Amino acid sequence: MPNLDVLTSTLASGFLLGGILALIALGLSIALGVMRLVNLAHGELLVCGAYLSYFLLSQFDVDPISGLLVVGALMALIALPFQRLLIAPLSGKGMEAPMMTMFGVSIILQNLLLLGFSADTRTLEAPYAASPVSLGPVTVPQIYLIGFAISVVLVVLVHQLVTRTGFGRELRASSADPTAAAAMGVDVRRVHALTFALGAACAAMGGVLIGTAFSFTPSTGATYLLTSFAVVVLSGVGNIFGTLLAGIAMGLLQSVGALAFGDGYRDFVGLVLFLLVLAFRPQGITSTGGR
Amino acid sequence: MASMVDNKLAVAPTRSGGLVGGASAWLLPCLILALALAPPLMSNYALDIGFRLLLLITLAEAWNLLAGYGGLVSLGTASFVGVGAYTLTGLVNQWGLPFALAIPVAGLSAVLLAVIVSPAVFRLRGLYFTVGTLALAEALRMFMVNNSVFGGATGLFLAIDPPGVKGLYWFALGLFAVTTLAMTVATRSRFSILLRTVRDDEDAAAQIGVRPFRIKLIAFALASFLMGMAGALQGMKLGAVEPYGMFGIQWTVAVLSIVIIGGQGLRVGPIVGAIFVVAMAELLADYPALNLALTGLILILVIRFAPKGLVGLALRKTRGAK
Amino acid sequence: MNIKTIVAAAAITLGLTASALAADEIVIGASIPLSGPLAGFGAYMQWGYQTAVNDVNKAGGIAVDGKKKQVKLVIRDDKTDSNVTASNTETLISRDEAVAMLGSCTPALVNAGALVAERRKVPLVTGCAPLQAFKSVRPWKYAWALFFDEGDLGNAPFKMLAEMGLKTNKKIAILHDNGPDGQVVGGQIWPAAAKAGGYSVVRSSSFPIDSQQFTSMIAQAKSSDADIALVAAIPPQAIAMRKQMASAGYTPKILVMEKGAEPEAFAQASGALADGVLVGGYWDPSFPYPGAADLAKRFESETKQTQSQHIADSHAAAQVLLDAIAAAGSTDREKINAAIAKTDKTYVVGPVKFDAAHSSRLPITMMQWQSGKSVVVWPKDRANGKLIFPLPAAK
Repeated sequence: MPNLDVLTSTLASGFLLGGILALIALGLSIALGVMRLVNLAHGELLVCGAYLSYFLLSQFDVDPISGLLVVGALMALIALPFQRLLIAPLSGKGMEAPMMTMFGVSIILQNLLLLGFSADTRTLEAPYAASPVSLGPVTVPQIYLIGFAISVVLVVLVHQLVTRTGFGRELRASSADPTAAAAMGVDVRRVHALTFALGAACAAMGGVLIGTAFSFTPSTGATYLLTSFAVVVLSGVGNIFGTLLAGIAMGLLQSVGALAFGDGYRDFVGLVLFLLVLAFRPQGITSTGGR
Repeated sequence: MASMVDNKLAVAPTRSGGLVGGASAWLLPCLILALALAPPLMSNYALDIGFRLLLLITLAEAWNLLAGYGGLVSLGTASFVGVGAYTLTGLVNQWGLPFALAIPVAGLSAVLLAVIVSPAVFRLRGLYFTVGTLALAEALRMFMVNNSVFGGATGLFLAIDPPGVKGLYWFALGLFAVTTLAMTVATRSRFSILLRTVRDDEDAAAQIGVRPFRIKLIAFALASFLMGMAGALQGMKLGAVEPYGMFGIQWTVAVLSIVIIGGQGLRVGPIVGAIFVVAMAELLADYPALNLALTGLILILVIRFAPKGLVGLALRKTRGAK
Repeated sequence: MNIKTIVAAAAITLGLTASALAADEIVIGASIPLSGPLAGFGAYMQWGYQTAVNDVNKAGGIAVDGKKKQVKLVIRDDKTDSNVTASNTETLISRDEAVAMLGSCTPALVNAGALVAERRKVPLVTGCAPLQAFKSVRPWKYAWALFFDEGDLGNAPFKMLAEMGLKTNKKIAILHDNGPDGQVVGGQIWPAAAKAGGYSVVRSSSFPIDSQQFTSMIAQAKSSDADIALVAAIPPQAIAMRKQMASAGYTPKILVMEKGAEPEAFAQASGALADGVLVGGYWDPSFPYPGAADLAKRFESETKQTQSQHIADSHAAAQVLLDAIAAAGSTDREKINAAIAKTDKTYVVGPVKFDAAHSSRLPITMMQWQSGKSVVVWPKDRANGKLIFPLPAAK
């Protein structure tokens, strides 16, 4: 039985990391919920965000956190033409074609990153990236605290966007019933494009946080893809606050699993949980039904 | 939730004239005969290519049965390949089983895996089924990597040397023949109708007395049997099995690409797709930087402009020409 | 129409037997990871192999059957996938008619290629396979490995601690990946060496090669108060782990990060955090081996990157093979194989002589990162700098 310090610190870290996982998963959840898009390039979008930040840091000395929104905006801009060119034409042809397209995109992105940045492992350096914060017996990495705060803020912002703005209304209408929404004058194609861009921005910003807390290479994305799926399914697709809760739950569970069985089983525990939820309550633990 | 169930992806197997109709009845046996007579003319390189091609075609056909004809888009191919490979290695090392016997038994072990997970995965529909199979495959891979019972990350080594390139080719051809037979039966018998019914609307099918679970299970079992045997053959060829190579997602990806490029739900889609993918890989192997990016690009282009794959494109052209 | 397409495609595929080879070239094949997670290693290996071949060709080539022929190196990317390594090796042997092969990197890939080469009776030399992992596969007839032995690597930190009389609380935390060499070094050799040296292993954790988070094991290592932390992990993990150690406030007096802290990328990515990190190495340009310093300079001027040990082991592996072909004076594979067995020369990476198990040991030194430079700190006769002890605390 690990001592109390370790236990509380681990749980706290897991909690905080979960917030970051939630931000990452949010992008996937929105795309899935609104566009029925199984975005297999999600991990690569995350890593792209990290590399974008790396580029800004190394060339223009832009601090990762300060440049976070810039990275998000840039990623959204990059993602828009992707969606228009590749995914929009496939709408209405089922879920598989867009999924495989995104898979093709992920291969291309990985290789572009490889060509552009080489396979060397990178990490985002910042004064807060590798320092601890202690509160009594609990010690957590400072970046986890920062990342958690930012993730929560962003999740709330997205929630506000979806529930209180005109765009949000259109988004919800398009996801509930695209044909009816179109009949009501909603430009569903535009909504889809912007939704995808928003999802990509969330993934990229999450990537910056991950890149600051850990390290990344062109192939790092794959690991986060599955975890994101797990969080999405746990929370119920398209449920924004649910994603936050599910992310935190996932973070906690992974930490407990790592403590109990070893860090190697961290992802495994998450996956098993994911499978159990899928099997018994696919609409998600936090959702209240529907969708 | 009903909107999540979107299985109308694949083209229904056609019975029209031309390739995918009566002609294919004699085409494939002829192909097999040709491939059987070819070896004396083939260099080792060609035999190796032939092996890879036949193996990939087998996997693609099996996946096509599940996804194209059955609407069960699975991302768990790697699990069955891996189980087949490891089982064969275990059977040969521990019990000295001859290869010819070990291969089908390895296939059966993959069926066992399918049967075990089916109650859980068949609760899931559409998208959730897909993601669920991916999660299962990854969980299995992680388990194999972390658990030293099956060698952990080091894996297992085959104690006996496998047959040479020619021998492996014969095995692969045999597997291809079995696959062709199985697929022909599956797509021409009453089973194909039942499968299509379940694919198109599972609940309605249940209403009219079809038992969806059983139908899906049969398709799943057949597909995993073929995949397991293909994995066993790959294990034989390598002589060393380890989790990243045998349970890795590259198998799932390769099969997916092949069927999509070739044409899903079409009888010869997997064959055309496999030839295309292998040929491209070989041509680009001498220019490594290009290969991967190009594969992704081609995948995207095919999906965008030829959603029924190359075979679908060809069919469209022939019909258009008439 | 479809029938024709398929038959034509099949014919093309089956007929891909044409090899565009000039008859007066000696072909050597290499399947290396140029993409995927190990692409970093692949880049070094490509340079090392190609440079050795270029040098030989510039000097006029190799005399075979009385006639001087140029050497052609055919490289294929195995995408860090052992299945592809096997196929590539087969292709290089069958289609390109390689007379011999140069190996890939890391046990999984090397084994895949070596097993194919072994079956086809083609000599294969590798400079990137830890020897115990290499020897444990089977008794090799055609595969040859020059590299370090995991035992030497595992014992080096302990030897260094003893020889330099470094003061610690003798408590060790071991964090190792569960790949073949991680298991051997972290799971067997380190615990055994610890026991023999009177140390106590207060914490031992293992993790898979694709893990990114190590917070639990680091927290436990910290709480167990270990002054010595021994880590076996690949570079991406080592970098993440170093960061997470700092984030957790864990600063052991001695931090060894095998494999992971070896490349320049580690120091670049970790910045100040790399200072004081120790890693076992087998080569440095300052070593008294023929051409060592020059090789590093050439690499840096040609590629504008910082040198790595791997340029030396790959260059040497290629040279061993080329020398064997020259010694055999023939492209007969058996003769080349016999010539490799007789190798006994000092190359840029050190003395190479294969034992009965087809392995040649490179001695291990301990290196430490100091202000972005890799300094050899042990053993004394190789050291070109002073050890920083203890590990500097993160500011």
